[in-house]
Amino acid sequence: MDSGYYSLATALNSRTQELDTIANNLANASTVGYRAQENVFGSILATAGNTNGSALSQAVNTYGILSGTTLDLSQGALQKTGNNLDVAIEGSGYFVVQTANGPMYTRNGSFQISAHGQLVTSAGDAVMGEDGAIAMPPGVVSISSDGTLSSGGAVVGKLHIVEFAPNTQLTSMGGSYYSAPAASVQKATQSTVQQGMLESSNVNSITSMVDLVTAQRTAEMMQRALNMFNSEIDKTATQDLPKVG
Amino acid sequence: MFHALDTAASGMTAQQINLDNIANNLANSSTAGFQSRRVQFSDLLYQNDIMPGAAATQQTTVASGLQIGLGTRPGNTEIVQTQGDLSSTGNPLDFAIQGSGFFQILLPNGQVGYTRSGSFQPDAQGNLVTANGDQLQPAITIPTSATNITVGSDGTVSVTLPGQTQAQQVGVIQLAMFANPGGLNSIGNNIYLPTTASGDPVVGTAGGSQGLGTIQQGMLEQSNVNVVDEFVNMILAQRSYESNSRVIKAADEMLQQLNQLAQ
Repeated sequence: MDSGYYSLATALNSRTQELDTIANNLANASTVGYRAQENVFGSILATAGNTNGSALSQAVNTYGILSGTTLDLSQGALQKTGNNLDVAIEGSGYFVVQTANGPMYTRNGSFQISAHGQLVTSAGDAVMGEDGAIAMPPGVVSISSDGTLSSGGAVVGKLHIVEFAPNTQLTSMGGSYYSAPAASVQKATQSTVQQGMLESSNVNSITSMVDLVTAQRTAEMMQRALNMFNSEIDKTATQDLPKVG
Repeated sequence: MFHALDTAASGMTAQQINLDNIANNLANSSTAGFQSRRVQFSDLLYQNDIMPGAAATQQTTVASGLQIGLGTRPGNTEIVQTQGDLSSTGNPLDFAIQGSGFFQILLPNGQVGYTRSGSFQPDAQGNLVTANGDQLQPAITIPTSATNITVGSDGTVSVTLPGQTQAQQVGVIQLAMFANPGGLNSIGNNIYLPTTASGDPVVGTAGGSQGLGTIQQGMLEQSNVNVVDEFVNMILAQRSYESNSRVIKAADEMLQQLNQLAQ
Protein backbone atom coordinates (compact mmCIF):
# COMPACT_ATOMS: atom_id res chain seq x y z
CA MET A 1 0.00 0.00 0.00
CA ASP A 2 1.17 3.53 -0.66
CA SER A 3 3.13 4.75 2.35
CA GLY A 4 1.94 8.27 1.60
CA TYR A 5 -1.48 7.17 2.73
CA TYR A 6 -0.20 6.34 6.24
CA SER A 7 2.02 9.38 6.31
CA LEU A 8 -1.00 11.61 5.65
CA ALA A 9 -3.17 9.78 8.15
CA THR A 10 -0.49 10.29 10.83
CA ALA A 11 -0.23 13.97 9.99
CA LEU A 12 -4.00 14.37 10.08
CA ASN A 13 -4.04 12.72 13.49
CA SER A 14 -1.41 15.10 14.81
CA ARG A 15 -3.50 18.06 13.60
CA THR A 16 -6.47 16.88 15.63
CA GLN A 17 -4.20 16.72 18.69
CA GLU A 18 -2.96 20.20 17.89
CA LEU A 19 -6.57 21.37 17.87
CA ASP A 20 -7.02 19.88 21.36
CA THR A 21 -4.13 21.94 22.70
CA ILE A 22 -5.39 25.14 21.06
CA ALA A 23 -8.86 24.49 22.52
CA ASN A 24 -7.32 24.09 25.98
CA ASN A 25 -5.39 27.33 25.67
CA LEU A 26 -8.45 29.28 24.57
CA ALA A 27 -10.60 27.68 27.28
CA ASN A 28 -8.04 28.84 29.85
CA ALA A 29 -7.66 32.38 28.54
CA SER A 30 -9.22 33.63 31.83
CA THR A 31 -7.38 31.29 34.22
CA VAL A 32 -5.12 33.26 36.55
CA GLY A 33 -1.48 32.14 36.37
CA TYR A 34 -2.12 29.73 33.45
CA ARG A 35 0.85 29.03 31.18
CA ALA A 36 -0.07 28.43 27.52
CA GLN A 37 0.91 25.13 25.94
CA GLU A 38 2.88 25.10 22.73
CA ASN A 39 2.91 22.22 20.28
CA VAL A 40 6.15 20.63 19.18
CA PHE A 41 5.93 18.70 15.96
CA GLY A 42 8.56 16.15 15.15
CA SER A 43 9.17 13.54 12.53
CA ILE A 44 9.49 9.84 13.05
CA LEU A 45 11.04 7.38 10.67
CA ALA A 46 8.51 4.63 10.17
CA THR A 47 11.13 2.22 8.91
CA ALA A 48 13.54 2.88 11.78
CA GLY A 49 15.78 -0.12 12.20
CA ASN A 50 15.69 -0.83 8.50
CA THR A 51 19.12 0.52 7.64
CA ASN A 52 18.96 -0.80 4.11
CA GLY A 53 16.30 1.67 3.05
CA SER A 54 17.18 3.91 0.16
CA ALA A 55 17.20 7.68 0.56
CA LEU A 56 13.88 7.76 -1.25
CA SER A 57 12.35 5.14 1.00
CA GLN A 58 13.49 7.04 4.08
CA ALA A 59 12.11 10.30 2.73
CA VAL A 60 8.65 8.95 2.03
CA ASN A 61 8.52 7.07 5.30
CA THR A 62 9.19 10.07 7.53
CA TYR A 63 5.94 10.78 9.33
CA GLY A 64 5.04 14.04 11.02
CA ILE A 65 3.70 13.61 14.54
CA LEU A 66 2.93 15.83 17.51
CA SER A 67 5.91 14.81 19.56
CA GLY A 68 5.39 17.01 22.59
CA THR A 69 4.01 20.09 24.26
CA THR A 70 6.04 22.72 26.04
CA LEU A 71 4.92 25.59 28.20
CA ASP A 72 5.09 29.20 27.15
CA LEU A 73 6.86 30.72 30.16
CA SER A 74 6.45 34.35 29.18
CA GLN A 75 5.00 36.84 31.65
CA GLY A 76 1.22 37.27 31.62
CA ALA A 77 -0.31 40.72 31.98
CA LEU A 78 -0.72 41.94 35.57
CA GLN A 79 -4.25 42.83 36.51
CA LYS A 80 -5.10 45.08 39.44
CA THR A 81 -7.60 43.53 41.85
CA GLY A 82 -7.17 45.62 45.01
CA ASN A 83 -7.36 42.55 47.25
CA ASN A 84 -4.61 42.59 49.87
CA LEU A 85 -4.12 38.85 49.55
CA ASP A 86 -3.62 38.84 45.77
CA VAL A 87 0.01 38.63 44.74
CA ALA A 88 1.54 38.57 41.26
CA ILE A 89 5.12 37.61 40.42
CA GLU A 90 7.16 39.71 38.04
CA GLY A 91 9.96 37.57 36.70
CA SER A 92 10.30 33.84 36.24
CA GLY A 93 9.60 32.75 39.81
CA TYR A 94 6.87 30.51 41.23
CA PHE A 95 5.14 30.27 44.60
CA VAL A 96 5.62 26.99 46.44
CA VAL A 97 2.46 25.22 47.59
CA GLN A 98 2.30 22.17 49.84
CA THR A 99 -0.35 19.77 48.51
CA ALA A 100 -1.34 16.23 49.45
CA ASN A 101 0.83 15.11 46.51
CA GLY A 102 3.97 16.95 47.58
CA PRO A 103 5.20 20.41 46.73
CA MET A 104 3.73 22.10 43.65
CA TYR A 105 4.55 25.40 42.01
CA THR A 106 2.09 28.03 40.86
CA ARG A 107 1.94 31.57 39.51
CA ASN A 108 -1.62 31.99 40.77
CA GLY A 109 -1.21 34.31 43.75
CA SER A 110 -4.86 34.56 44.69
CA PHE A 111 -4.36 33.63 48.34
CA GLN A 112 -6.73 33.42 51.27
CA ILE A 113 -6.42 32.89 54.97
CA SER A 114 -7.78 29.55 56.13
CA ALA A 115 -10.02 29.13 59.17
CA HIS A 116 -6.86 28.04 61.03
CA GLY A 117 -5.18 31.33 60.16
CA GLN A 118 -2.83 29.88 57.53
CA LEU A 119 -2.06 31.48 54.19
CA VAL A 120 -3.57 29.14 51.58
CA THR A 121 -4.31 29.07 47.83
CA SER A 122 -7.89 29.27 46.59
CA ALA A 123 -7.82 25.45 46.49
CA GLY A 124 -6.98 25.44 50.22
CA ASP A 125 -3.37 24.22 49.98
CA ALA A 126 -0.82 25.83 52.27
CA VAL A 127 1.42 28.47 50.69
CA MET A 128 4.99 27.92 51.78
CA GLY A 129 7.11 30.60 53.34
CA GLU A 130 10.84 30.32 53.64
CA ASP A 131 10.30 28.68 57.06
CA GLY A 132 7.31 26.49 56.17
CA ALA A 133 3.60 27.34 56.25
CA ILE A 134 2.73 30.94 57.09
CA ALA A 135 0.44 31.71 60.04
CA MET A 136 -1.43 34.99 59.58
CA PRO A 137 -2.73 36.73 62.70
CA PRO A 138 -5.80 38.92 62.04
CA GLY A 139 -4.92 42.37 60.80
CA VAL A 140 -4.25 44.34 57.68
CA VAL A 141 -1.87 42.39 55.44
CA SER A 142 0.89 44.03 53.49
CA ILE A 143 3.37 42.30 51.23
CA SER A 144 6.60 43.91 50.13
CA SER A 145 8.21 43.39 46.75
CA ASP A 146 10.62 40.76 48.11
CA GLY A 147 7.67 38.73 49.46
CA THR A 148 7.93 39.74 53.13
CA LEU A 149 4.47 39.45 54.70
CA SER A 150 3.35 41.59 57.54
CA SER A 151 0.06 41.61 59.37
CA GLY A 152 -0.95 44.64 61.39
CA GLY A 153 2.58 46.01 61.04
CA ALA A 154 4.41 42.94 62.40
CA VAL A 155 6.47 40.73 60.07
CA VAL A 156 4.99 37.23 59.97
CA GLY A 157 7.04 35.51 57.27
CA LYS A 158 8.40 35.65 53.78
CA LEU A 159 6.91 33.97 50.71
CA HIS A 160 9.12 31.20 49.37
CA ILE A 161 9.61 31.98 45.69
CA VAL A 162 11.63 29.67 43.50
CA GLU A 163 12.98 29.72 39.98
CA PHE A 164 13.97 26.72 37.91
CA ALA A 165 17.21 25.79 36.21
CA PRO A 166 17.21 26.61 32.47
CA ASN A 167 15.41 24.06 30.28
CA THR A 168 13.56 22.52 33.21
CA GLN A 169 10.40 20.76 32.07
CA LEU A 170 7.42 21.68 34.18
CA THR A 171 4.54 19.22 34.28
CA SER A 172 1.05 20.76 34.24
CA MET A 173 -0.96 19.28 37.09
CA GLY A 174 -4.24 21.22 36.58
CA GLY A 175 -5.60 23.85 38.94
CA SER A 176 -2.76 26.20 37.82
CA TYR A 177 -0.28 23.92 39.60
CA TYR A 178 2.95 22.73 38.05
CA SER A 179 5.41 20.16 39.28
CA ALA A 180 9.13 20.05 38.62
CA PRO A 181 12.03 17.76 39.50
CA ALA A 182 13.36 18.72 42.96
CA ALA A 183 16.92 19.03 41.64
CA SER A 184 15.98 21.89 39.30
CA VAL A 185 14.54 24.15 42.03
CA GLN A 186 16.63 27.22 42.77
CA LYS A 187 16.14 30.19 45.04
CA ALA A 188 14.57 33.08 43.14
CA THR A 189 16.95 35.87 42.30
CA GLN A 190 15.15 37.77 39.56
CA SER A 191 11.56 37.80 40.77
CA THR A 192 9.66 40.44 42.63
CA VAL A 193 6.08 40.35 43.83
CA GLN A 194 3.29 42.90 43.57
CA GLN A 195 0.52 43.06 46.11
CA GLY A 196 -3.07 43.68 44.98
CA MET A 197 -2.36 42.31 41.50
CA LEU A 198 -2.92 38.98 39.76
CA GLU A 199 -1.13 37.64 36.71
CA SER A 200 -3.57 36.87 33.89
CA SER A 201 -3.20 33.80 31.75
CA ASN A 202 -0.41 34.26 29.18
CA VAL A 203 -2.51 32.81 26.35
CA ASN A 204 -2.25 35.08 23.32
CA SER A 205 -5.65 34.88 21.70
CA ILE A 206 -4.38 36.26 18.39
CA THR A 207 -1.73 33.57 17.90
CA SER A 208 -4.17 30.95 19.21
CA MET A 209 -6.73 31.96 16.59
CA VAL A 210 -4.07 31.93 13.85
CA ASP A 211 -2.97 28.47 15.04
CA LEU A 212 -6.57 27.37 14.95
CA VAL A 213 -7.03 28.47 11.35
CA THR A 214 -3.69 26.93 10.35
CA ALA A 215 -4.53 23.61 12.00
CA GLN A 216 -7.88 23.56 10.28
CA ARG A 217 -6.50 24.40 6.84
CA THR A 218 -3.58 21.96 7.02
CA ALA A 219 -6.04 19.26 8.10
CA GLU A 220 -8.05 20.15 5.02
CA MET A 221 -4.93 19.77 2.86
CA MET A 222 -4.24 16.32 4.32
CA GLN A 223 -7.81 15.34 3.68
CA ARG A 224 -7.61 16.45 0.04
CA ALA A 225 -4.37 14.58 -0.46
CA LEU A 226 -5.88 11.47 1.13
CA ASN A 227 -8.79 11.81 -1.25
CA MET A 228 -6.37 11.86 -4.15
CA PHE A 229 -4.84 8.59 -3.03
CA ASN A 230 -8.28 7.20 -2.55
CA SER A 231 -10.11 8.36 -5.61
CA GLU A 232 -7.50 9.18 -8.22
CA ILE A 233 -4.75 6.61 -7.80
CA ASP A 234 -6.52 3.64 -6.25
CA LYS A 235 -9.55 4.03 -8.41
CA THR A 236 -7.37 4.09 -11.49
CA ALA A 237 -5.60 0.97 -10.29
CA THR A 238 -8.67 -1.00 -9.30
CA GLN A 239 -11.30 0.15 -11.72
CA ASP A 240 -9.81 1.80 -14.77
CA LEU A 241 -6.70 -0.30 -15.39
CA PRO A 242 -8.59 -3.61 -15.75
CA LYS A 243 -10.61 -2.05 -18.53
CA VAL A 244 -7.55 -1.29 -20.59
CA GLY A 245 -7.35 -3.54 -23.53
CA MET B 1 -12.89 11.64 19.22
CA PHE B 2 -11.56 15.19 19.49
CA HIS B 3 -11.16 16.48 23.04
CA ALA B 4 -11.36 19.93 21.49
CA LEU B 5 -15.16 19.83 21.44
CA ASP B 6 -15.45 19.12 25.18
CA THR B 7 -12.56 21.43 26.01
CA ALA B 8 -14.12 24.35 24.18
CA ALA B 9 -17.50 23.53 25.74
CA SER B 10 -15.88 23.76 29.20
CA GLY B 11 -14.54 27.19 28.23
CA MET B 12 -17.98 28.33 27.10
CA THR B 13 -19.65 27.08 30.30
CA ALA B 14 -17.02 28.85 32.37
CA GLN B 15 -17.56 32.14 30.55
CA GLN B 16 -21.31 31.76 30.95
CA ILE B 17 -20.85 31.53 34.74
CA ASN B 18 -18.45 34.47 34.55
CA LEU B 19 -21.14 36.52 32.81
CA ASP B 20 -23.76 35.46 35.39
CA ASN B 21 -21.47 36.76 38.12
CA ILE B 22 -20.79 40.03 36.27
CA ALA B 23 -24.54 40.49 35.82
CA ASN B 24 -25.07 40.05 39.56
CA ASN B 25 -22.30 42.51 40.39
CA LEU B 26 -23.70 45.11 38.01
CA ALA B 27 -27.25 44.55 39.25
CA ASN B 28 -26.00 45.29 42.77
CA SER B 29 -23.87 48.28 41.89
CA SER B 30 -26.27 50.51 43.86
CA THR B 31 -26.77 48.16 46.81
CA ALA B 32 -25.25 49.77 49.91
CA GLY B 33 -22.73 47.49 51.61
CA PHE B 34 -22.65 44.99 48.70
CA GLN B 35 -19.29 43.35 48.11
CA SER B 36 -18.68 42.14 44.59
CA ARG B 37 -17.51 38.65 43.77
CA ARG B 38 -14.96 37.53 41.24
CA VAL B 39 -14.95 34.13 39.51
CA GLN B 40 -11.66 32.30 39.56
CA PHE B 41 -10.94 29.65 36.96
CA SER B 42 -8.52 26.78 37.05
CA ASP B 43 -7.30 24.38 34.39
CA LEU B 44 -8.55 20.79 34.41
CA LEU B 45 -6.46 17.66 34.43
CA TYR B 46 -4.04 16.80 31.65
CA GLN B 47 -3.89 13.71 29.51
CA ASN B 48 -0.25 12.72 29.73
CA ASP B 49 0.63 10.91 26.53
CA ILE B 50 4.32 11.35 27.31
CA MET B 51 5.34 12.54 30.78
CA PRO B 52 7.87 15.39 30.70
CA GLY B 53 11.23 14.01 31.75
CA ALA B 54 10.27 10.43 30.82
CA ALA B 55 13.10 8.18 29.72
CA ALA B 56 13.52 8.11 25.95
CA THR B 57 16.26 5.51 26.17
CA GLN B 58 18.28 4.21 29.09
CA GLN B 59 20.57 7.22 28.89
CA THR B 60 18.37 10.03 27.67
CA THR B 61 15.08 11.67 28.57
CA VAL B 62 12.52 13.20 26.22
CA ALA B 63 13.00 16.90 25.55
CA SER B 64 9.35 17.73 26.20
CA GLY B 65 6.39 15.72 27.33
CA LEU B 66 3.12 15.46 25.44
CA GLN B 67 0.43 16.81 27.72
CA ILE B 68 -3.02 17.53 26.33
CA GLY B 69 -5.09 19.77 28.59
CA LEU B 70 -8.77 19.02 28.96
CA GLY B 71 -10.22 22.49 29.56
CA THR B 72 -11.15 24.81 32.37
CA ARG B 73 -13.61 25.04 35.23
CA PRO B 74 -14.81 27.84 37.47
CA GLY B 75 -12.98 27.24 40.75
CA ASN B 76 -14.65 29.63 43.17
CA THR B 77 -16.24 33.03 43.46
CA GLU B 78 -14.22 35.08 45.86
CA ILE B 79 -15.65 38.06 47.72
CA VAL B 80 -13.69 41.16 46.76
CA GLN B 81 -12.60 42.78 50.00
CA THR B 82 -12.00 46.32 48.87
CA GLN B 83 -13.60 49.21 50.71
CA GLY B 84 -16.62 50.72 48.97
CA ASP B 85 -16.92 54.50 48.66
CA LEU B 86 -18.50 56.21 51.65
CA SER B 87 -21.30 58.57 50.84
CA SER B 88 -22.71 61.09 53.24
CA THR B 89 -26.44 60.67 53.90
CA GLY B 90 -26.90 63.00 56.86
CA ASN B 91 -29.08 60.38 58.57
CA PRO B 92 -27.76 59.93 62.15
CA LEU B 93 -28.65 56.21 62.07
CA ASP B 94 -26.62 55.43 58.93
CA PHE B 95 -23.26 53.93 59.83
CA ALA B 96 -20.38 53.00 57.56
CA ILE B 97 -17.42 50.82 58.54
CA GLN B 98 -14.03 52.00 57.41
CA GLY B 99 -12.03 48.80 57.80
CA SER B 100 -12.72 45.09 57.56
CA GLY B 101 -15.37 44.64 60.28
CA PHE B 102 -19.02 43.61 59.99
CA PHE B 103 -22.12 44.60 61.96
CA GLN B 104 -23.77 41.74 63.84
CA ILE B 105 -27.51 41.30 63.44
CA LEU B 106 -29.96 38.83 64.91
CA LEU B 107 -31.79 36.88 62.18
CA PRO B 108 -35.40 35.72 62.67
CA ASN B 109 -34.18 32.11 63.10
CA GLY B 110 -32.02 33.10 66.08
CA GLN B 111 -28.74 32.94 64.15
CA VAL B 112 -26.35 35.88 64.10
CA GLY B 113 -25.74 37.27 60.63
CA TYR B 114 -23.06 39.71 59.52
CA THR B 115 -23.46 42.70 57.23
CA ARG B 116 -21.64 45.81 56.10
CA SER B 117 -24.85 47.58 55.23
CA GLY B 118 -25.24 50.08 58.06
CA SER B 119 -28.64 51.59 57.41
CA PHE B 120 -30.54 51.21 60.70
CA GLN B 121 -33.86 52.46 62.04
CA PRO B 122 -35.45 52.29 65.47
CA ASP B 123 -38.34 49.82 65.74
CA ALA B 124 -41.47 50.36 67.89
CA GLN B 125 -39.49 49.61 71.07
CA GLY B 126 -36.65 51.89 70.02
CA ASN B 127 -34.25 49.02 69.20
CA LEU B 128 -31.99 49.60 66.22
CA VAL B 129 -32.99 47.26 63.36
CA THR B 130 -32.02 46.86 59.69
CA ALA B 131 -34.42 47.66 56.85
CA ASN B 132 -35.60 44.03 57.14
CA GLY B 133 -36.33 44.40 60.86
CA ASP B 134 -33.37 42.33 62.06
CA GLN B 135 -32.04 43.63 65.34
CA LEU B 136 -28.51 44.95 65.74
CA GLN B 137 -26.44 42.93 68.23
CA PRO B 138 -25.72 43.75 71.04
CA ALA B 139 -29.12 45.46 71.18
CA ILE B 140 -29.11 49.23 71.32
CA THR B 141 -32.26 50.99 72.45
CA ILE B 142 -32.80 54.61 71.56
CA PRO B 143 -35.32 56.28 73.89
CA THR B 144 -38.20 57.59 71.77
CA SER B 145 -37.84 61.03 73.30
CA ALA B 146 -34.16 61.34 72.32
CA THR B 147 -33.45 64.54 70.45
CA ASN B 148 -29.92 63.95 69.37
CA ILE B 149 -28.07 60.71 68.60
CA THR B 150 -24.29 60.62 68.38
CA VAL B 151 -22.17 57.61 67.45
CA GLY B 152 -18.45 57.84 68.04
CA SER B 153 -15.87 56.25 65.76
CA ASP B 154 -15.43 53.50 68.39
CA GLY B 155 -19.16 52.69 68.23
CA THR B 156 -20.26 54.40 71.44
CA VAL B 157 -23.90 55.49 71.04
CA SER B 158 -25.03 58.42 73.12
CA VAL B 159 -28.30 60.34 73.13
CA THR B 160 -29.47 63.66 74.46
CA LEU B 161 -32.82 63.63 76.21
CA PRO B 162 -35.12 66.65 76.42
CA GLY B 163 -34.33 68.83 79.42
CA GLN B 164 -30.83 67.38 79.85
CA THR B 165 -27.64 69.03 78.74
CA GLN B 166 -25.37 66.02 79.34
CA ALA B 167 -25.40 63.30 76.65
CA GLN B 168 -26.20 59.85 77.98
CA GLN B 169 -24.52 56.64 76.73
CA VAL B 170 -27.02 53.96 75.64
CA GLY B 171 -24.73 51.28 74.25
CA VAL B 172 -21.67 50.38 72.20
CA ILE B 173 -21.87 48.93 68.67
CA GLN B 174 -19.52 45.99 68.41
CA LEU B 175 -18.03 44.75 65.16
CA ALA B 176 -16.96 41.27 64.08
CA MET B 177 -14.19 40.22 61.74
CA PHE B 178 -13.16 36.95 60.16
CA ALA B 179 -9.82 35.31 59.46
CA ASN B 180 -10.94 34.69 55.87
CA PRO B 181 -13.86 36.97 54.95
CA GLY B 182 -13.60 35.65 51.35
CA GLY B 183 -15.04 32.36 52.63
CA LEU B 184 -18.27 33.83 54.04
CA ASN B 185 -21.60 32.50 52.82
CA SER B 186 -23.83 35.16 51.17
CA ILE B 187 -27.49 34.55 51.95
CA GLY B 188 -28.90 37.68 50.28
CA ASN B 189 -30.10 40.95 51.81
CA ASN B 190 -26.40 41.87 52.25
CA ILE B 191 -26.15 39.27 55.01
CA TYR B 192 -23.27 36.84 55.39
CA LEU B 193 -23.06 33.74 57.55
CA PRO B 194 -19.81 32.27 58.83
CA THR B 195 -18.56 28.95 57.41
CA THR B 196 -15.68 26.67 58.31
CA ALA B 197 -13.75 28.41 55.54
CA SER B 198 -14.30 31.90 56.95
CA GLY B 199 -13.52 30.87 60.53
CA ASP B 200 -15.35 31.99 63.65
CA PRO B 201 -16.06 35.69 64.15
CA VAL B 202 -13.70 37.71 66.30
CA VAL B 203 -15.82 40.34 68.05
CA GLY B 204 -14.36 43.56 69.29
CA THR B 205 -14.81 47.26 69.71
CA ALA B 206 -14.37 49.45 66.65
CA GLY B 207 -11.28 51.55 66.37
CA GLY B 208 -8.94 49.07 68.03
CA SER B 209 -5.68 47.76 66.63
CA GLN B 210 -7.35 44.53 65.39
CA GLY B 211 -8.25 46.08 62.01
CA LEU B 212 -12.02 46.03 62.64
CA GLY B 213 -12.15 49.61 61.44
CA THR B 214 -13.93 52.67 62.66
CA ILE B 215 -17.61 53.60 62.47
CA GLN B 216 -18.60 56.72 60.57
CA GLN B 217 -21.97 58.15 61.51
CA GLY B 218 -24.16 59.71 58.81
CA MET B 219 -22.41 57.79 56.06
CA LEU B 220 -23.24 54.66 54.08
CA GLU B 221 -20.75 52.39 52.36
CA GLN B 222 -21.67 52.07 48.71
CA SER B 223 -21.21 48.76 46.90
CA ASN B 224 -17.58 48.12 45.97
CA VAL B 225 -18.55 47.15 42.40
CA ASN B 226 -16.33 48.96 39.92
CA VAL B 227 -18.61 49.42 36.92
CA VAL B 228 -15.75 50.11 34.49
CA ASP B 229 -13.93 46.91 35.53
CA GLU B 230 -17.14 44.93 35.23
CA PHE B 231 -17.71 46.20 31.70
CA VAL B 232 -14.15 45.32 30.71
CA ASN B 233 -14.65 41.85 32.22
CA MET B 234 -17.91 41.54 30.34
CA ILE B 235 -16.21 42.25 27.01
CA LEU B 236 -13.45 39.77 27.84
CA ALA B 237 -16.02 37.11 28.80
CA GLN B 238 -17.94 37.68 25.59
CA ARG B 239 -14.85 37.48 23.37
CA SER B 240 -13.57 34.42 25.15
CA TYR B 241 -16.96 32.76 24.67
CA GLU B 242 -16.71 33.64 20.99
CA SER B 243 -13.22 32.18 20.55
CA ASN B 244 -14.28 28.97 22.28
CA SER B 245 -17.28 28.67 19.98
CA ARG B 246 -14.93 29.20 17.04
CA VAL B 247 -12.93 26.14 18.21
CA ILE B 248 -16.12 24.06 18.25
CA LYS B 249 -16.85 25.18 14.70
CA ALA B 250 -13.30 24.28 13.59
CA ALA B 251 -13.52 20.85 15.24
CA ASP B 252 -16.90 20.29 13.61
CA GLU B 253 -15.54 21.18 10.18
CA MET B 254 -12.55 18.90 10.63
CA LEU B 255 -14.83 16.04 11.62
CA GLN B 256 -16.96 16.76 8.59
CA GLN B 257 -13.90 16.50 6.35
CA LEU B 258 -12.95 13.22 7.96
CA ASN B 259 -16.40 11.88 7.24
CA GLN B 260 -16.04 12.90 3.63
CA LEU B 261 -12.91 10.76 3.32
CA ALA B 262 -15.01 7.64 3.31
CA GLN B 263 -17.00 8.62 0.24
